[in-house]
Amino acid sequence: MTAALIQVLIGGLLQGGMYALGAFGLSLVFGVLGILNVTHGDFLMLGGLLCYGVYVALGLDPLVSLVIVIPVFFGVGCLFERVLIQPLLAKSPHELLMGSILVTLGAALAIEDLVPFVWTQSFSGIPYTVRSLVIGDVVVPTLRLAILLGIIVLTLMLHLFLRHTFVGIALRAMTQNRRGAMLVGINLPRLSMLAFGLGTALVATAGVAHVMLYSITPTMGVPLTLKYLTIVVLGGLGSLLGSVFGGMMLGLCEALTSLYIGPQWAPSVAFTVLIVVLVARPQGLFGVRRP
Amino acid sequence: MACGGRDVPSPRRRVIYPLFLYLFVGLALCLLPFVMGRYAVTLAFLLWVAIALAESYNLVGGYLGYMNLGHASFFGVSAYIFGILYTQGVPFPWAWLAGVGGSVAFAVAISVPLFRLRGAYFAVASFGLITLLELLAHNFSALTGGAAGLSLPPGDRLFPAYYLSLSVAAGSVALAALVSRSRLGLALMSLREDEEVAAVFGVHALRYKILALVLSAIPPGLIGGVYTWQLTYINPSIVFGLEIALVPIVMAMLGGVGHVWGPVLGALFIILVEELLWTKMPYLHLTTYGVILLLVGFYLPGGLIRWRWLVRVLSMGR
Repeated sequence: MTAALIQVLIGGLLQGGMYALGAFGLSLVFGVLGILNVTHGDFLMLGGLLCYGVYVALGLDPLVSLVIVIPVFFGVGCLFERVLIQPLLAKSPHELLMGSILVTLGAALAIEDLVPFVWTQSFSGIPYTVRSLVIGDVVVPTLRLAILLGIIVLTLMLHLFLRHTFVGIALRAMTQNRRGAMLVGINLPRLSMLAFGLGTALVATAGVAHVMLYSITPTMGVPLTLKYLTIVVLGGLGSLLGSVFGGMMLGLCEALTSLYIGPQWAPSVAFTVLIVVLVARPQGLFGVRRP
Repeated sequence: MACGGRDVPSPRRRVIYPLFLYLFVGLALCLLPFVMGRYAVTLAFLLWVAIALAESYNLVGGYLGYMNLGHASFFGVSAYIFGILYTQGVPFPWAWLAGVGGSVAFAVAISVPLFRLRGAYFAVASFGLITLLELLAHNFSALTGGAAGLSLPPGDRLFPAYYLSLSVAAGSVALAALVSRSRLGLALMSLREDEEVAAVFGVHALRYKILALVLSAIPPGLIGGVYTWQLTYINPSIVFGLEIALVPIVMAMLGGVGHVWGPVLGALFIILVEELLWTKMPYLHLTTYGVILLLVGFYLPGGLIRWRWLVRVLSMGR
């Protein structure tokens, strides 16, 4: 039983780490720009697709293809923000909310329809096998462990970036108060673009991990965005690292539920945990209650 | 125009003309099944369902300004209660009423915990609720039939379903119109603008919010039973899925929330656009649909109803 438990815990942490990568990007965009980006989950799908395409065309190792995927999606995110989101930011808060949801939902639907139109081959994951470690009667999947370590390192780097660099501190200032940040001379348009690019690059990275472990489908985007949104709200809006903890917690809870209660109940965990947490703590786990 | 100012129309223009217009449109819609074929009647039925859902969403999503992503849960709860009772042999009117009662009771039960939350938190928690319901319907298969769904005894019910759904849709528009002109509507809009200020001026926030949520649960509760009755088959993803949850809200936002005619315009627009795209375009219709949403959000974030040119054309210079 302990062997099974350890394996489930590793699986849960890994899933949680992938949730965290995607949710962090969404949280960054929500915090810095104040908009809900419904297209976010579709960038995961596109990131996985680019990785898969590069693998098929050039035979490039998925991990090496990150060198291509990350800059490409950083650029895509910046462009998306500059063209579609930036003009909306000048509107009134209510119009911004409605407009941003319509724009990003429209873009998500268009992407989900265009991808199978352009990419006529079948979708699948990349067969990527590494020998598993066997310790006693516990089988440790090496690949999953390596990806998990990679995600942890990335999270630590993000943490240091947000704490100790000028841009990171400016981004945190913008999540706290846009106007205040503007008053001390932070270039809001440029940093908004940067935050969007960063969030998109992160979720595309999660897409690469996704295509190595599972497979991708064109319509996975919008449900995924909603799941990320749950995680962000669970961790607390505006708390960037809260989304990382929220993601990890959700991954673990789902894994434990499918072990002890039954796999058919795993999808309900996210929302049960969310509702329980929100009723007890309306500002989320790490959120600060705004006056 | 004795009282001056061209902004104050005479009583005749303000009351009589619209009254005639509504009577005329209502009569035309009542006669539609005798003139058009079954295809058009079915399409109109779906339009009334969409209008009832979008317009009732408008009460909480538009006037109160709380984005209730779980609005379709009222629809689904009543659809399932109706479906289960009707297959057990309960006559239509009683099963229908039980469905409405169930969705209203559900609204009352979720209102107090949900209204502890605001903004995006409220939106996500309410969406979580509908996902939870979908899973419950999947997993309690002894009662709901699970993923295989629930089949009702078949029968030709298109005409009665058309009139029932038309009345529910008209009723929900009337409800929104009444609310927007009443003390309740004023309270809701003041809560939308600033909850603290409204509370200081004596608006009992929680009471009005619960009232709005319960009122918004009635039209979906009514339409859920009629929908199940007409389609004779439901499953968890039809009544609690992403599409039924999001499409009415998109319709309301596209048409313009916080306006009586916004959701009606949005529902009409989307149903017609979908119909045109799906029948006239061989492929890429979802892309076109997405691009239309994107353009409306980009240029008219307040919705189509706030597009001056369109409103002038629709009101024919009145």
